Amino acid sequence: MSELPAVTEEEFRKVSDFLYRRTGMLFTETKRYYVQRRIADRMTFLKIGSFATYFSYLRGDVDGEIEQFINAFTVNETYFYREEHQLRCLSADLLNERVQAKKPGEALRIWSVPCATGEEPYSIAIWLLENWPEVDVQDIEIVGSDIDTECLTAARQGEFGQRALMRLSPALIGKYFETIGPDRWRIVSDLRQSVQFTAVNLMEGSQTRQHGKFDIIFCRNVLIYFDDASRRLAAENLFESLVPGGFICLGHTESMSRISPLFEVRRFADAIVYQRPTGGTHG
Amino acid sequence: MPLVRRPSSPAEATAAPASLTEGTSDQRWAAVRAASERPDGVALLAAALMRENEPRVREAIFTGLARAATAESAAAVIPCLRSEDAGLRTAAIDALRAMPGATRPHVAALLGDADADVRLLSCEFARDLPEDEANRLLGDLLVRETEKNVAAAAVEVLAEIGRPEVLPALEACAERFAGDGFLLFSIKVAAERIGRP
Repeated sequence: MSELPAVTEEEFRKVSDFLYRRTGMLFTETKRYYVQRRIADRMTFLKIGSFATYFSYLRGDVDGEIEQFINAFTVNETYFYREEHQLRCLSADLLNERVQAKKPGEALRIWSVPCATGEEPYSIAIWLLENWPEVDVQDIEIVGSDIDTECLTAARQGEFGQRALMRLSPALIGKYFETIGPDRWRIVSDLRQSVQFTAVNLMEGSQTRQHGKFDIIFCRNVLIYFDDASRRLAAENLFESLVPGGFICLGHTESMSRISPLFEVRRFADAIVYQRPTGGTHG
Repeated sequence: MPLVRRPSSPAEATAAPASLTEGTSDQRWAAVRAASERPDGVALLAAALMRENEPRVREAIFTGLARAATAESAAAVIPCLRSEDAGLRTAAIDALRAMPGATRPHVAALLGDADADVRLLSCEFARDLPEDEANRLLGDLLVRETEKNVAAAAVEVLAEIGRPEVLPALEACAERFAGDGFLLFSIKVAAERIGRP
């Protein structure tokens, strides 16, 4: 293990303040060792000898350093039932509120973007089948989208390893997956057919508009990587993709309030989500 | 399985926007978003900015200008820093911070502006400058600044980006505002963060 460079309390606060302003991620004193460890790793990797030099490098986002640094604090791999509290909120509150606002027979539309290799949209489908009593009487359309077409190909195939399934019970795996090899499972055909996958660039309004309007959007752990101008534009594209009264769920370290004033904050028992206002001309 | 799969809904038809300043807020929003994607959009957005009162549409105008990130788009936003409308001022700051390259040529003049409010708000722009330039500009401000709130804003930024060479300016500021406990405390914290040479 490399020796930790001397990062003082003041230096830790500098980094914490910078990261909060830049990403909305909040690191308190309890995370100091973790932050310090990551700084040490990056300084060693980059062969930078002083904190001051590294902090300038980070602030300047040289060679995408901010993303490299943030990656240490986010779970880069995705897996089924990640951030389950939001799924609980979906079935306990969000969908019921949306059903009340819709005409009879009108489908509920849910968008998972970016969807990576499909864990999130399939999780939403399984969660609703298991936990939302209305699932038998409501039409629910689930769309997963990503900018990476290789990810989309994998998502359509619906094949996953053990790590992706680590949060699922054996009963759920037995019900919604078929074994295709050692430590390898595939989503059952019916479920694969119930989720649609499409390519989208969140920065391109012409592309997001092609997807129509959604009742609920899951957009987790992507906006933190955007610069300010890109984040604003993505937020407006997402706003436009929601029906009035529709909800957007971000990652647990993200806050739409810091990105855009367009949305209203809604606090539910299991999660804080953001809503496109229903009133006035916000239609 | 009750979940359904169907082709995505076609995009809602949006009439070609005739004007950024007429029609409903939804129409103006659509016009602004469309203008943002046009090569000549900045001039249209700049013209619409000072006439638009709907916050949502105004936000889209600022985003369009920030996305363009040109000298022209920054110049269009800067007058909003003088607005009596706090929401407009805040939105302008956010937009200018979202286009740091375009804002950079204006920062020195803004920090020397006759209006203390403009100087105060502009301290934030220094965060996005190269550190040597930011230290020089904020150091210069601190040695001449007469408004304590402006000085406090500069000190707050220096707490993050300050270098040892700005310590004399902080000390000079502390002497000038020796009777202000809050500012002295802020200067002390900034100096501690700047720390070792």
